[in-house]
Amino acid sequence: MSVSIEQKSSKPPRYCNGRLMAACCFCIVLLFSNTPTLAEEVVVAIKRGTPNTKPVSRYVLSAIFGMRLTTWPDGSAIRVFVLPDDNLVHATFCKQVLQIFPHQLRNAWDRLVYSGTGQAPEVLSSELEIRTHIASTPGAIGYLTKENLDDSVAILPVE
Amino acid sequence: MTQLPSSQLNSPGTSLKCHTGTSRPFSIETLLLAILCLPISLSCHAVELFDTVQIHGFASQSMFISSGNNMFGPSISNPNFDFTELGINGSWLALPNLRLSMQILSRRDGGTNNATPVIDFGLLDYNIDLNSDYRLGIRAGRVRQPYGLYNDTRDVAFTRPSILLPQSIYYEGTRDFTISADGLLVYAEIQKPWGNLNLELFGGYARTDNKDTQYSFLFQNSYGTLNSDPSFVGRLSYESYNKSLRLALSGVYTSMSYKKNPTYDTMPSGNISYDAIVLSGQYNTEDWTFTSEYSYDFFTHSDSGYPYDFKLTGESYYFQAAYRFAPKWELMARYDAYYPNTNDENGLAFQASGQGPAYSQFAKYWVTGLRYDITPWMMVRAEYNYVNGTALLPPQGFLNPQTGNPDYSSTVQYWSMFGFLVSFRF
Repeated sequence: MSVSIEQKSSKPPRYCNGRLMAACCFCIVLLFSNTPTLAEEVVVAIKRGTPNTKPVSRYVLSAIFGMRLTTWPDGSAIRVFVLPDDNLVHATFCKQVLQIFPHQLRNAWDRLVYSGTGQAPEVLSSELEIRTHIASTPGAIGYLTKENLDDSVAILPVE
Repeated sequence: MTQLPSSQLNSPGTSLKCHTGTSRPFSIETLLLAILCLPISLSCHAVELFDTVQIHGFASQSMFISSGNNMFGPSISNPNFDFTELGINGSWLALPNLRLSMQILSRRDGGTNNATPVIDFGLLDYNIDLNSDYRLGIRAGRVRQPYGLYNDTRDVAFTRPSILLPQSIYYEGTRDFTISADGLLVYAEIQKPWGNLNLELFGGYARTDNKDTQYSFLFQNSYGTLNSDPSFVGRLSYESYNKSLRLALSGVYTSMSYKKNPTYDTMPSGNISYDAIVLSGQYNTEDWTFTSEYSYDFFTHSDSGYPYDFKLTGESYYFQAAYRFAPKWELMARYDAYYPNTNDENGLAFQASGQGPAYSQFAKYWVTGLRYDITPWMMVRAEYNYVNGTALLPPQGFLNPQTGNPDYSSTVQYWSMFGFLVSFRF
């Protein structure tokens, strides 16, 4: 006759809590949808008379709006103006022109600002403000929808 | 098998992560003065000047409640609010290619950091854009250590994937030692259609005048002085054009010397070195972010004599996924593991030698969390940690027996922690 000893595990159930929670949360996500963009075209605008600006490559534009390239070819400072992260024109510009997601751009700025290695672009509240600032600030660059363009600013063509 | 110092008998875990030290006390008056003077002293250039000055800041308050072990103060079955992070920084673009910046940080962590404001970084950054594709630069002063993916902004909750960073790579106990150091950093950057390549090399002195760091390296309360010898940190990072792929290779070479207190000290003088190599990778889509980092480290105590001298190789890694399932919402899951001694990953040899429990020789975290950005400047986050092992319990608790886990007998192997955080930034 053998005596069976019931062995109780001293270990608590290990990962079930985390897994269960994750599974529930992943089900919830199916109920939501994600960020929209505008159908309208967004173009890059600069101050009239900015020196030595030929059509710019997308990757150079990405360096400018990523705040890594901070001077124009003549050595003068680039001043970047943008709209808030959750603005539709901003999202459209990021996705269609830069081909970067807005949250990625925000992460890049945060890394510069909170590590002392760079500055963030200046955030303005409307396209009108962007246009006024670009028209009056030396070295300025920003973006506008075509309907908000006028002669006070110049278009920077993107290659 | 590696011989561990018997002095570890009283310390839960041979945990040692990363590199740098303490915070030099800095008066709040000086801070305010510095911030105010930046724009005012140059007000002759009025508009120009204000256009080139930026002030940013952040404030975070966390709450932890845990089972088994204390985290950042008495958190066992008790909501603990002892973890607070406040920071303010200013930067001034003096010339198109010359920038001055400084950040003041005040931090409470339930242990030795008691909210005293310290200079987190304070530097002069000069760079040359050779053309739109190539850039060279130099930073001098107290600069961020180029280490991994998250070290650059590790105190800013908005930039972290969770309330606590993966402890395997970003151990709280050596936070001050890792975050910034005094010296020179040179960098070179290449911008091409295929992406951005950035090389940063730092040489200087680590911040070691900090209780947490000293405890983390010495495994006991010490009364002498721990000084940094010249140390080097470097990082080569790659970012794809659209920032979807980020890769980094970081290397850390630090050495320190400990001088015992001649009148009262149980720790003998000696030399300590901590070297590590870290591989980092991140892949982003619109809705998903996958991140993983791996570190292999070499930790040596020498010239202290038996039984204090030892040589350990440690290993750490984590896998993490974040899902932005709706605008403003993010869900995160992570597995995080750390082994301070790769020759004794289950800790059985450590236990057999009578130095402490096996579970102090590893730490495995299962973490899941939820983030909600109420506005672009206000965020809340909740997270749950299930942990096996105590190798990554920060030393704060051990240094403060009233609020922490004073010795092995007060720690448990399986524990969990729930955290809640609210954070602001501008």
